[in-house]
Amino acid sequence: MSLEEPQPESTYVTDEGVDYDALESLLGAHVLGRETHLNAEAFVIRPDEVQEVLGLLKDEAGFDYLSCVTAQEYEDRYESIYHLKKYGDMTREVGVVVPVPRDDPVSQTAAPVYKTADWHEREAYDLVGIEYEGHPDLRRILLPETWQGHPLGLDYDQDKPQIVPYREHVNPIEGDYRDSDSDTMFINIGPHHPATHGVLHLKAVLDGEQVVDVDPDIGYLHRCEEQMCQQSTYRHQIMPYPDRWDYAPGGLMNEWAYARAVEDLADIDVPEYAQVIRTMGAELCRMCSHMLALGTFCLDIYGDFTAIFMYAMRDREKLQSILEDLTGQRMMFNYLRLGGVAWDLPEPREEFFEKTRDFLEDLPVATQEYHDLITSNEIFQIRTVGTGVLPPEAAKEYGATGPVARASGVDMDLRRDDPYGYYDELDWEVAVEHGCDNYSRLLVRMREVEQSAKIVEQCIDLLEEWPEEDREIQSNVPRTLKPDPDTEVYRGVEAAKGELGIYMRSDGTAKPARFKIRSPCFSNLSTLGEMAEGEYVADLIASLGSLDIILGEVDR
Amino acid sequence: MNPAPLEAVLLPETISELTGLGQFGILGDMIAAFLAAFFVGNLMLAMTGVAGPWAKRKITAAFTDRIAVNRVGPFGLLIIVASAVQLLAKELIIPEHVDRPAYDLAPVVIASSAMLGFAVIPMGSGIQLADPEVGLVFVFAIASIASVGLVMAGYASNNKFSMLGGLRAVAQNIAYEIPLIVTGASVVIFTGTLQMSGIVEAQQQALFTVAGIGIPAWFAIVNPFAFVLFLAANIAELGRNPFDTPEAPTEIVAGYQTEYSSVYFVLIYLGEFLHIFLGAAIITTIFLGGPTGPVLPGIVWFIIKIWAIFLFTQWLRSALPRVRIDQMIEIGWKGMLVLSFANLVLTAVIVGVFVA
Repeated sequence: MSLEEPQPESTYVTDEGVDYDALESLLGAHVLGRETHLNAEAFVIRPDEVQEVLGLLKDEAGFDYLSCVTAQEYEDRYESIYHLKKYGDMTREVGVVVPVPRDDPVSQTAAPVYKTADWHEREAYDLVGIEYEGHPDLRRILLPETWQGHPLGLDYDQDKPQIVPYREHVNPIEGDYRDSDSDTMFINIGPHHPATHGVLHLKAVLDGEQVVDVDPDIGYLHRCEEQMCQQSTYRHQIMPYPDRWDYAPGGLMNEWAYARAVEDLADIDVPEYAQVIRTMGAELCRMCSHMLALGTFCLDIYGDFTAIFMYAMRDREKLQSILEDLTGQRMMFNYLRLGGVAWDLPEPREEFFEKTRDFLEDLPVATQEYHDLITSNEIFQIRTVGTGVLPPEAAKEYGATGPVARASGVDMDLRRDDPYGYYDELDWEVAVEHGCDNYSRLLVRMREVEQSAKIVEQCIDLLEEWPEEDREIQSNVPRTLKPDPDTEVYRGVEAAKGELGIYMRSDGTAKPARFKIRSPCFSNLSTLGEMAEGEYVADLIASLGSLDIILGEVDR
Repeated sequence: MNPAPLEAVLLPETISELTGLGQFGILGDMIAAFLAAFFVGNLMLAMTGVAGPWAKRKITAAFTDRIAVNRVGPFGLLIIVASAVQLLAKELIIPEHVDRPAYDLAPVVIASSAMLGFAVIPMGSGIQLADPEVGLVFVFAIASIASVGLVMAGYASNNKFSMLGGLRAVAQNIAYEIPLIVTGASVVIFTGTLQMSGIVEAQQQALFTVAGIGIPAWFAIVNPFAFVLFLAANIAELGRNPFDTPEAPTEIVAGYQTEYSSVYFVLIYLGEFLHIFLGAAIITTIFLGGPTGPVLPGIVWFIIKIWAIFLFTQWLRSALPRVRIDQMIEIGWKGMLVLSFANLVLTAVIVGVFVA
């Protein structure tokens, strides 16, 4: 934790955590009431004072990170919850709850305070139906413009067909974007384009070769993941879904995000042995994910299927094979369970350890090979150093997390700052680069692979030594899990792309009343304009590649 | 310094002699010339056919730890037939509002400009269609016609990605054409002739002897600096990696060829491969001693040399990142142009002082 920086806002933070009473007196009359969420206290405020309250919390109390905006509908009201944290210390959290009446769901926007609120509020408007007054661009974000109704609202009829004539669908190539006064050209990059890493559509305006404006159009891969989770039971039915968010594969890390949130919500203990296995599995996934990121980023820079891509795939394949041995699956693991993992390490254990150790032994050679091939290549350097610059302030404004934030010099990592699993027992470092450019983002990932290897190695040692009678893989969890009614929790884990957060509200049944996913890719993608505007088309593509987005997670 | 114009025996003459077509006067000469052109054209097309669907895959696979085509025929060689059938059988999709004659002509221009260039290349074993005194200028002039084809393709496709690709192609070709020709001219200072056979002839005598083996006076050895410059400029001129910005599949989809499918696509691709081989043939002729070499017949040496250069382009493709278009132009105008003129002046001074 960055204790080296003096914190002027320390009046609001004590050693135990956030001093909510001091915060309440800071906000004064703005506070209508207080709610207790399991992760933090939350202040209830009036819908027309959102900017004022958030501004105070950001400037005076130092909550510089708007992690997530959750919107939900109750029988009597709509509610937006702003989950605030500090980049300097991720355990300092506070919630801001903004209730609005059902018949007039209008709330003031937070976009002028936090830029990241722009997209998050658009999503809230799109899926739940709260309108944000003063929002710079309140359009639907995940669903098509022609969609009828807001699917996560209470009175939304799921069976009602969406009768929208084909001709009413927005056709991006229909409009005539010619403008006789300027020399700019409108161009659609995607949704079918070799370098968009999935179905992403970038509406770009070019001046010659330079990007004037870029507007990512997402939602092509929206699969109602939140809705599906809300219709499933905590105990068994939700766990397979997280694998489908970041399928790069960030599977185990995604599952962990859900597991961690429910374990907090229902107060479930996890045996230490299972935590070690989880930690090892998550880091194997992280390496896998970063290998893919490295390979595809190089595709964007190199242009063709090159040696680097194949080498990255080769190393990733070894990891996948290890993960397959562990979980029985290569992509959709479904390995974590509430209170532990599905099963113990594969027998014979020695074989598994040996295989993993072999990989870890080969890894430094492979890493050196990547450095020889990629990072020390002069052409690669002139292409990536100093391009796609994301200054640290902008990264914070847009709520960037993970390698994207760390490459901009933002020293944050939930594994260290908000420890879970077995991370705080192990010896590893957070990779931070200060270049803020495409090159730094690649370097951060490469260094993280090395750190992950270090973690996996320590986990293997621990698991090997673990006494046989003490190998408890799951704690006792009720067959039907019904957390206490009206408990709310927002919990994040450090997934490969950044903070993957889950907000859940329980209503006393076996299914969550609200299940909200805070996707790291979603927020990271919103920084693209900041990086690419004024740069060349080639750098726009490179920046997009360096963000390492998975559209399955962006669109959910 | 002024060797008499060589009276090399050209392929059309050989054919007219062998078949006795010569006695039918000009008509016979024409038929003989056609036969000879048919032979050379097919030789090059056959090489392209091997290179495109098969060799390129195999080479790239070798660089990237893969096996590539190995199911059809020995070493997967019959994939050439399969690919040909597949490509020709595809539907030819022509988008709406394309600029019709230009759109249709572009692939033909791209492919044929490369074919024409081979007319003056001495391929050894008496295979050369014509040997004009301005051979080198002819081959540069013909090769740059391809730029026109690229612009036509980019402009006529009614696609913004094609448009960008076409513009990049022109910018790049202009930037690299000059260093290419200026560097080529530095060779002419040595030879004193533009005639292709003369340039080959000038590289025959042994430069020096190492352990009893005479090292020939190839201009690649005489002036390695010019060779490297020419090689780089040639790669850029062809638009191969790391200078493949006009195509740049990950940026502008495929540039000028985005909207071409089926036969047109094959023609453009054919043109590109022919251009690689034409570039290789020019390099072979003016820097690598043309078709000469020990033991093996000239044509075999010629093929070995141009395939070596083809292999080199594929190596670059697997190993090097793409340069951005502005950096590309900068390298061309600020770097290559200056270096190539420096090379020209230096060569002229050295040749003037030592030889004269």
